[in-house]
Amino acid sequence: MNEELDSQLSAMFDDELLPAECELLARRLSRDEYLKARWGRYAIVGAVIRAERGVRLNAPLAGRVNAVLLAEPALAAHTAPRDRNRAPVRWWRPLAGAAVAAGVATVSILWLRTQAPLPGAQLAAGGQSTPPTATASAQGDSYVVPRPRPAAVAVPSTELANYVVAHSMFSTPVARRNLLSAFMTSESAGAGTEEPQSDVKAIAQ
Amino acid sequence: MSADASDLSLVRRVQRGDKGAFDALVLKYQHKLVKLVMRYVRNPAEAEDIAQEAFIKAYRALPQFRGDSAFYTWLYRIAINTAKNAVVSRDRSPVEYDLDRNNNDESYDMQGRMKDSETPEGLVLTDEIRSTVNAAIDALPEDLRTAIVLRELEGLSYEEIAAAMDCPVGTVRSRIFRAREAIDRRLREVFEGGLGRAEELG
Repeated sequence: MNEELDSQLSAMFDDELLPAECELLARRLSRDEYLKARWGRYAIVGAVIRAERGVRLNAPLAGRVNAVLLAEPALAAHTAPRDRNRAPVRWWRPLAGAAVAAGVATVSILWLRTQAPLPGAQLAAGGQSTPPTATASAQGDSYVVPRPRPAAVAVPSTELANYVVAHSMFSTPVARRNLLSAFMTSESAGAGTEEPQSDVKAIAQ
Repeated sequence: MSADASDLSLVRRVQRGDKGAFDALVLKYQHKLVKLVMRYVRNPAEAEDIAQEAFIKAYRALPQFRGDSAFYTWLYRIAINTAKNAVVSRDRSPVEYDLDRNNNDESYDMQGRMKDSETPEGLVLTDEIRSTVNAAIDALPEDLRTAIVLRELEGLSYEEIAAAMDCPVGTVRSRIFRAREAIDRRLREVFEGGLGRAEELG
């Protein structure tokens, strides 16, 4: 037998072999009866040196265990624990999912806001520059008076709301709450634009 | 050097379905485990039964072993629990030793325990094996004998032995290997020489 191999076996027995070499030798050891017998005798030598005199060194314990395990199913590959080096990658997955969901939700909210501008912004804009009445008289309709929105506009808003809620299921509770409250704010803002036109006209005047 | 890399490589193989790798772990630790269990039961045969049960439990639980601790530490706990349960279920009193003094199994009062176990059936190590190994150790050159004894008896790492013997780690590895080879050559002659125990080792 190869002396280098036996030397490696001795070092492996003492946990003094490099991990990569251990992997290779473990594979061989599990299949090679010669190596296994030698490995077993190394254990006997150690037991004698340690004066383990209460222990039967010629006991067929390994053979008995082996006989019992013959009836056992081999441990499946999928039961082996995953490499611990991959754990951090798994740890980031929920966060990445939440980030994607939050991004989609943010884009959706921004889009909703562009569809239904806040009345405060309109009023602020109306308070500056030229008097709104002049513009209103020039164009017929005051720009601070919201045009009646067609019913079809509400449909994508509802669909988007469902969409946002569905995506928010993958985000954290805090992010979900923020998202929903932001969405509700935008909805109420949209509702604010449907104030009675007389009030708006009064402000404009 | 990665501690426990040897055991871990075998454990990983078992977890992937290689039962032969578990044989190697049993061969390596069977004597230690029986000795450990004999703190709880006096009869070596009963200790072997409990050790066998502990090994089988360990095999079945191996999918849950993540390698956070050394394999032997994990196996040690299984064996202790198995021994305690066996003692309780058989309504026997455990041999009373101060386990808390050294909970790592090797250096408790061996001499005191020997008296309990050295009954005719408790004298389990055959004279042939013991005398052969001891004679082989005595015949070793001093540097080889020191290296193997420091390793097996004191449990020193190669690096610690190198420091103690003032030589490179590679030399320590070579000395221990050569010592084992010399002893194994004699031991193999005993097993192959008609005592009929070679097949019992595995």
